[in-house]
Amino acid sequence: MSWFSRLRNQFRSDDVSRDIDRELEFHIAERTDELIAAGMRPADARREARRRFGHLGDHAERTRHRDLFGWLDTLASDLRYAVRSLRNAPAFAVAAILSIALGIGANTAIFSIIDAVMLKSLPVSHPQELVKIVRDDNDVFTNPLWEAIRDRQDMFDGVFAFASRRFNLAAGGEARRVDGSYVSGEYFSTLGIRAEAGRLLSRTDDYRGCPGIVVLSDAFWRSEYAASPAVIGRTLSISAHPFTIVGVADPRFFGMSVGDHPQIFAPLCSEAVVQGAGSELDHRSSWYLQIVGRPKENVTPEQIRTRFAALAPAIIEATLPPNWPAEATADYKRSVFAVAPAAKGFSALRSTYKKALYVLMVIVGLVLAVACANVGNLLLARAATRRREMAVRLALGAARARLTRQLVTESLFLSAVGASLGGVFAFWGSRLLVGLLSHGGEVVSLDLTLDGRVLAFTIGVATLTGLAFGLVPAWSARRVDPQAAMKAHGRGVTDGPSRFRIAKALVVVQIALSLVLLTGAGLLIGSWRKLATLNPGFRREGVLLVAADALDTRVPDDQRLALFRQMLDRVRAIPGVQSASLSRLTPIGQMSWNEVLQTDGFTPKSEEDALSWMNAVSDRYFSTMGIPMRAGRDFDDRDGAASAKVAIVSEAMARKFFGAAPAIGRRFRIQDGRTWSDPIEVVGVVGDTKYNSLRDTAPSIVFVPDHQREATANARRLEIVTNGSIASVATSVTAALVAVNPKVSLSLTTIERQIDDSTRLTRAIAMLSGLFGALALVLAAIGLYGVMSYTVARRRNEIGVRIALGAERGRVIRMVLTEVAAIVIVGAVVGAALSATATRLVTSFLYEIRPNDPATLAISTVVLVAVGLGAALSPARRASRVDPVAALRED
Amino acid sequence: MPRQRNDILQGTLALLVLRILAAQGRLHGYALTSAIHRASADQLRVEEGSLYPALHRMTQDGWLRAEWGTTEKNRQARLYTITPAGRKQLELEEESWARLRDGVTRVLKYT
Repeated sequence: MSWFSRLRNQFRSDDVSRDIDRELEFHIAERTDELIAAGMRPADARREARRRFGHLGDHAERTRHRDLFGWLDTLASDLRYAVRSLRNAPAFAVAAILSIALGIGANTAIFSIIDAVMLKSLPVSHPQELVKIVRDDNDVFTNPLWEAIRDRQDMFDGVFAFASRRFNLAAGGEARRVDGSYVSGEYFSTLGIRAEAGRLLSRTDDYRGCPGIVVLSDAFWRSEYAASPAVIGRTLSISAHPFTIVGVADPRFFGMSVGDHPQIFAPLCSEAVVQGAGSELDHRSSWYLQIVGRPKENVTPEQIRTRFAALAPAIIEATLPPNWPAEATADYKRSVFAVAPAAKGFSALRSTYKKALYVLMVIVGLVLAVACANVGNLLLARAATRRREMAVRLALGAARARLTRQLVTESLFLSAVGASLGGVFAFWGSRLLVGLLSHGGEVVSLDLTLDGRVLAFTIGVATLTGLAFGLVPAWSARRVDPQAAMKAHGRGVTDGPSRFRIAKALVVVQIALSLVLLTGAGLLIGSWRKLATLNPGFRREGVLLVAADALDTRVPDDQRLALFRQMLDRVRAIPGVQSASLSRLTPIGQMSWNEVLQTDGFTPKSEEDALSWMNAVSDRYFSTMGIPMRAGRDFDDRDGAASAKVAIVSEAMARKFFGAAPAIGRRFRIQDGRTWSDPIEVVGVVGDTKYNSLRDTAPSIVFVPDHQREATANARRLEIVTNGSIASVATSVTAALVAVNPKVSLSLTTIERQIDDSTRLTRAIAMLSGLFGALALVLAAIGLYGVMSYTVARRRNEIGVRIALGAERGRVIRMVLTEVAAIVIVGAVVGAALSATATRLVTSFLYEIRPNDPATLAISTVVLVAVGLGAALSPARRASRVDPVAALRED
Repeated sequence: MPRQRNDILQGTLALLVLRILAAQGRLHGYALTSAIHRASADQLRVEEGSLYPALHRMTQDGWLRAEWGTTEKNRQARLYTITPAGRKQLELEEESWARLRDGVTRVLKYT
């Protein structure tokens, strides 16, 4: 019968059974009539007619059996049976369901993040139509380039440019940064976003010299203005400039980048309102815009490419950056414009976390495999205790297929319950994870709402899981011989070895996978520990960092350095401040600056080879940061803006550019466009430090006096070391700085925070892999404990006989432990072999540890063996305490 | 002691049902048992326990159509008719029965 008609029967199953009953009644009535006609008494006739039919219910049952009704009926009874038998073994049920829930929960959590980061499309209309414009391999553009493309293109129904910014909403003092975007006029119309309140931006809002207006995100509108409609027309301040709120965007829209949620949208042209003369709208070398368009119907990417090839000369001619080296200009002239799919948005998040997420997915996949093996083993042990039950049912005529089905139903039921619980774990887990990945001021926000894909994933995993571990007991029940099983309680008869073989094989798999996970976790945790404790060459704690930004002050450019200097002096005067300095940047802080150097006696292999990292610092920077002076002197009053140019270099710089000879007194030049700077004299050498990342080997760094390199600066960093706790001084520091100039925007952090942020991905992965490794280990220990307890229980008679015949207890313990050791060793060998290849996956997260680090493998193996033997100790003791008399008297 | 077997050979019940319905049009289950009994000159007897499941299966397979009707004694009965698919099936079953009968007869004759 086709599934279709079975399904159809479902809806009329009541009719079907009523039909059958009526039909049989009719038949019996006819037969009765005939028998009466043949001379029987009516009562006898009716009895005879019924007798001929056999048991009426049986017939109805057999005729109905082919219907879905029957099928569902069996399913329901299977489920009832499953629930009942699980209720009789609560310890088993809890262990199995928890194993599955943890396994599936972990998988769903990671998958929902992968889904949000990698797979979900933008919540805009027809996202699959959107394309981003690229120039060669590059997807950032200058504003002149954007305007040239916008004014010439005819391939798109709509096209827009946007740039992410962190707007400062505070009008001075400590900065209050909120994610936002500058967007061109057709941003909302091209994306097809509707307004939740007020109006959105349109092309007519985006013109040179436009006033400041903004559209708010729905989330911001709710959190900041309690969703008040009265907010339209009010103003907020961006970098101390007033912007009028004109509307609120659709609640579902989170912007063009997965992971950050712009809360404020301002027209591209209003950048000039904030930046004033520093506006980058006409800069031909300021690359900050991304361009997205919706091509006209039936326009292919190839057609767009061709059309761009025709437009390119005019676009390039209009936007050629001045003062570029000839080579770069020639490159620019060869630019090829094309489009790439943009449906999933742009995301730095995607490239940053892609690898980490895939590693985590593999890890949780392995955990699930261990959990499956565990549940398989639990079911197996249970199947053994139910062997007699199965044998009885077989002997009573149950079909083997029926028994298999019963077992598989039970497994699927277990995995369904486990998966539901796992879904709850995943809900918390994925949010916890996102919290782990966020740091400091940058909050990663993801749309983690359940979608069809995540649901399908969970259901798929749950079903596969249920089948995977459900088939194990079904497979072993397949060979139950009713006679043997019924007899199995006879003295001295032990189970066939096959069941043990499956159970042990499962434990071997668990141990092998656990070892892989433990080794991976060991490597990652080891790397993180190294990163967390390494000496970066500067103080890694106890330094308060203040980023001061004078962009929004009305202080003239040439007086800004003096302003920062004044701030430094004020901070140094605060009681409790031990030492303070100014710098252009602090190491490991996401900012970097490098220059090409020229020295006598060093011939670079390439221009790249002549690069050195740079920093501009005040006096006492090195003592504040705890960087040791190796030779020469610190900067001081002698090094004024007009004095001879000097520099302090790192040991690595001295080694590289000056060789073995002392560097003090040597000179070098810095490339300045097409010429070279005046000679700069080295007056000091300091210890090596990390610059961009803790993972770097300490690079060549040149420090110049803050005011000798540049005449002006928008922002500076203050490093402050205090006598007491940082917190107690932070308030007075802020107050002192605001007193100098209330319009300067300030962000406070500490050196620890800054360093922690730089290792957060490594830390998150290390923590998670450790967590999952421990989980796998616990599961494997439970598996081992289970299988050994069971072995001991089944061999009770035999052990009793041994003890009765004089075997010492220690010997019995040894016997059990030897068996465990064999399992663990086989598992460990397999695991070690697997680890050798599997750990290569995490290479890019490791620091100063090779993926096949023997020490890590050795430690993981020792931990595993110890836990394994520990888990087996209690069954072994139990074996040694078997009372021979009681054991032999049983049955 | 040899035993006279007049149960209907497995698999031939469908053939008989189809044949009789093809010849006689609409019949209910009880009439079908009587018809088989009569037509085989009391040689064949249908077990009720086999007939009704077979009728249901054949209806599911689309060989028969079943509907409720009223008999001359004014009882509600389920009446079966043969469908075109059923007639096709009847041909097939007749052929295979003929082959089986020939085969069996030959074996009995020449061994």
